[in-house]
Amino acid sequence: MSNTIQESGAQQEGVAVAASMNPGNYRVCDITGFKVDLSSEKLIRANAVASVISLLLAVVAALLLVFTRYQPVHLLNAEWYYRLVTFHGLNALIFWIIFFEIAGLYLGSSVFLNVRFCSPKTGWVAFALMVAGLVMSNIIILMGKADVMLTSYTPLKAHPLYYLGIILFAVGALIGVILFFGNLMIARRERTYGDSLPLVTYGLMTAAIIAVITLASGALIYIPTFLWSLGLIENIDPAMYKLIWWGLGHSSQQINVAAMVSIWYMVSFLTVGGTSINEKVSRTAFVLYILFICLASAHHLLTDPGVSSAWKVWNTSYAMYLAVLASMIHAFAVPSSYESAQRRWGYNKGMFEWLSKAPWSNPAFSSTMLAIIGFGFIGGTTGVIFGMEQTNIIVHNTIAIPGHFKGTVVIGTTLTFMGITYYLIPLIFRRKIVGMGMARWQPWLFFIGIALLSISMIVLGQLGVPRRHWDSTFSGGPFTYNFNPAVDFFWTLMMLGGTIAFISVMMWIGIVVVSVFFGPKVNGPGDMQLTLSPLAPPAKTHKGFEAPGTLLLTFIFLLVFLALFFLNWKWLAATWYVK
Amino acid sequence: MLIALVLCIMLFVWMVMWHVYGKQNPSSTTYKTSTVEFTELTEAYTKQNMIGQDNGIPVVRPEPNSDVFLMAEMWRWSPVLVLEINQAYRMHISSKDIVHGLSIQPVNMNFQVYPSYDYVLEFKPTEAGEYRVVCNEFCGIGHHTMIGKIVVIEKEEDLKLYGYENFKKAATPVKTEDNKPMSEADMALMGEQVFTLKGCGACHKTDGSALIGPSWKGLYGKEEKVKENGKEMTVKVDDAYIRESILEPSRKITVGFEQTMMPQMAVTDEEINQIIAYMKTL
Repeated sequence: MSNTIQESGAQQEGVAVAASMNPGNYRVCDITGFKVDLSSEKLIRANAVASVISLLLAVVAALLLVFTRYQPVHLLNAEWYYRLVTFHGLNALIFWIIFFEIAGLYLGSSVFLNVRFCSPKTGWVAFALMVAGLVMSNIIILMGKADVMLTSYTPLKAHPLYYLGIILFAVGALIGVILFFGNLMIARRERTYGDSLPLVTYGLMTAAIIAVITLASGALIYIPTFLWSLGLIENIDPAMYKLIWWGLGHSSQQINVAAMVSIWYMVSFLTVGGTSINEKVSRTAFVLYILFICLASAHHLLTDPGVSSAWKVWNTSYAMYLAVLASMIHAFAVPSSYESAQRRWGYNKGMFEWLSKAPWSNPAFSSTMLAIIGFGFIGGTTGVIFGMEQTNIIVHNTIAIPGHFKGTVVIGTTLTFMGITYYLIPLIFRRKIVGMGMARWQPWLFFIGIALLSISMIVLGQLGVPRRHWDSTFSGGPFTYNFNPAVDFFWTLMMLGGTIAFISVMMWIGIVVVSVFFGPKVNGPGDMQLTLSPLAPPAKTHKGFEAPGTLLLTFIFLLVFLALFFLNWKWLAATWYVK
Repeated sequence: MLIALVLCIMLFVWMVMWHVYGKQNPSSTTYKTSTVEFTELTEAYTKQNMIGQDNGIPVVRPEPNSDVFLMAEMWRWSPVLVLEINQAYRMHISSKDIVHGLSIQPVNMNFQVYPSYDYVLEFKPTEAGEYRVVCNEFCGIGHHTMIGKIVVIEKEEDLKLYGYENFKKAATPVKTEDNKPMSEADMALMGEQVFTLKGCGACHKTDGSALIGPSWKGLYGKEEKVKENGKEMTVKVDDAYIRESILEPSRKITVGFEQTMMPQMAVTDEEINQIIAYMKTL
């Protein structure tokens, strides 16, 4: 526990940091004590702003999509429905998340390590490339030249500029990742941190390493596809395309997981002064992500021709699901760090006083806690079950799949990012949060909305409803089909959940925009509306396990998982025989 | 941690054991093919085994334990299959054009379908009834109209439930004698078969309702507004125009149907004549 972020912040006085930074180019934060390079601060701001704009584009599209699939309204026509599915996917899953992650990488490398930004000019080039990519791809989609879905499975063909836009964006992101490593190198050379990297930066480094692998897969598939769309390459094998595309599509989600988990640890530290109860194990779990996520694309080929069962089973699990294990370790380590810290603050009564007396009114804290619950109970359980070769038969390409990743990416990653933004506003944008009252219940609203949306989609998928499908009454087809009548109920629930989540995102965007552009300036620690907790005191007496409450919650989680597991296998066993 | 690790290892063992003891496992048999080859195979198979048609889609009743061809194309599943309960069928599944998703409802079994990969899945239906084949991989603007049918029967009488009781296997609807020109009526019957086999019905209805393409009802002899190189003009739908539309679909496009281009169809001159004869009867 020797290397928490604030300690490394405090160490700056003893280290020759200033030598690398010209006075006038940095400010010393009057709240955290960090030396903040002004050029990295500007880059963090720019990337954060771009991410919020992408999120806005994504959720407006999302609302229109929800009200199209909700059959009584059936808002958009088929053309615009598919167009906006493509648009939503790209803006939500790629632009919003990666812009935010680049901002996070700059924050974790430059600010937390008290180091100057290695090359601000290159940082702006990266940013310009990413923005150019965003604008280009989005315009092409809205012009109707790329109705190919985010996955753009060949031989569906989009306009070449669509692929070029994504390539530009990816190149920009890759440069951003390289700059992150550049900052780490400077910090290491100038010894601006203690013995080892703070856990949060360590986690972000994991995310950055996975990002390099992922972006390489992306280049491997998007560049040939771009040439194919120009007519320079005759043919792209559709099965090979799908295999490599998911090397980008799924592995990139592991970037999100690593970044999100890093933020979880950070929020534990900021809100209650918590640190991992076993930091070595936490670090090892991050390494497991790097080592065992390389063939995540296998999850998407479970019911495909071309690859054998042995290949599928091995590559989705490596015999023991080490990437899943890593997530389970974090899902235990993060709440236990809260529990351990809270208990040391004296909230020691019973099993759950640490939880009931937790800083729930701090939106960053409630976001993180809700994100952990949603990620584990909704995204995690379904992820493992749907990712098994045989059970995949009953969910492949149904709406249960987007239901699953609404649990992981939307409740998990997006809510976490929204939560940490409440700290970024005062510390990086130096503004007070306007509308704290609203901010307190925004995470709850978002959690309820997406949980409803996500669970309804999973149930609908289990009832056979396809994803990316404009009209589940099959109008104009030679036959028709009526799904189980229960679908009507879940469509309504999904529509309600989507609406609630939309309102919550609008509240969040409203708070962020008003605070950042019109909020009162922060002039010192007195203006900080959220707590910055000191490190929790050491335990007075050591009796029994440090975090019994978390252990109990973990067992409940495992029971839920097992229940869902057997339910799914039971459903599978009731289908036709196939081999 | 240990519990988690043990659980993870158990999950792996479970998947392997299901291959030994379970009844539902995705097959590992795939053949490389081409869209042209697979289309020819399916058409030949369907033509030989067709016992009738249902809403413009040929109906085939395969022998148990035989090889069955099921083709996905924009936007239909062909043929409709009549299967017997508890009998195994080796289904060869592939696509004529782009990637599709095979989704059998309500049993909810889902598999990916690629062009140029022939995926062989051996199905054994365990319950009688009427099933639908939905497409669940986005395949263009008509994706939602792509729905096929599988019927599983327990006994012969079950065919009545679906109106299939009088369906009989007939290789060709008309006996062709050498050197003798067919009558217009026979030509029209042959044309209807071409319409069914080639999947024209996925876009063109024959009941007057416009779908992705213009309806064929009363189309022959009609004056249609079309666009050629962006210029609007009126043409009469006659033999020459129909022939040109089939051979060069994107040359003249009917006003109101500019959104979706008709694909190049592989048809012979003789088949075009039969289609024209068929259109005259509508």
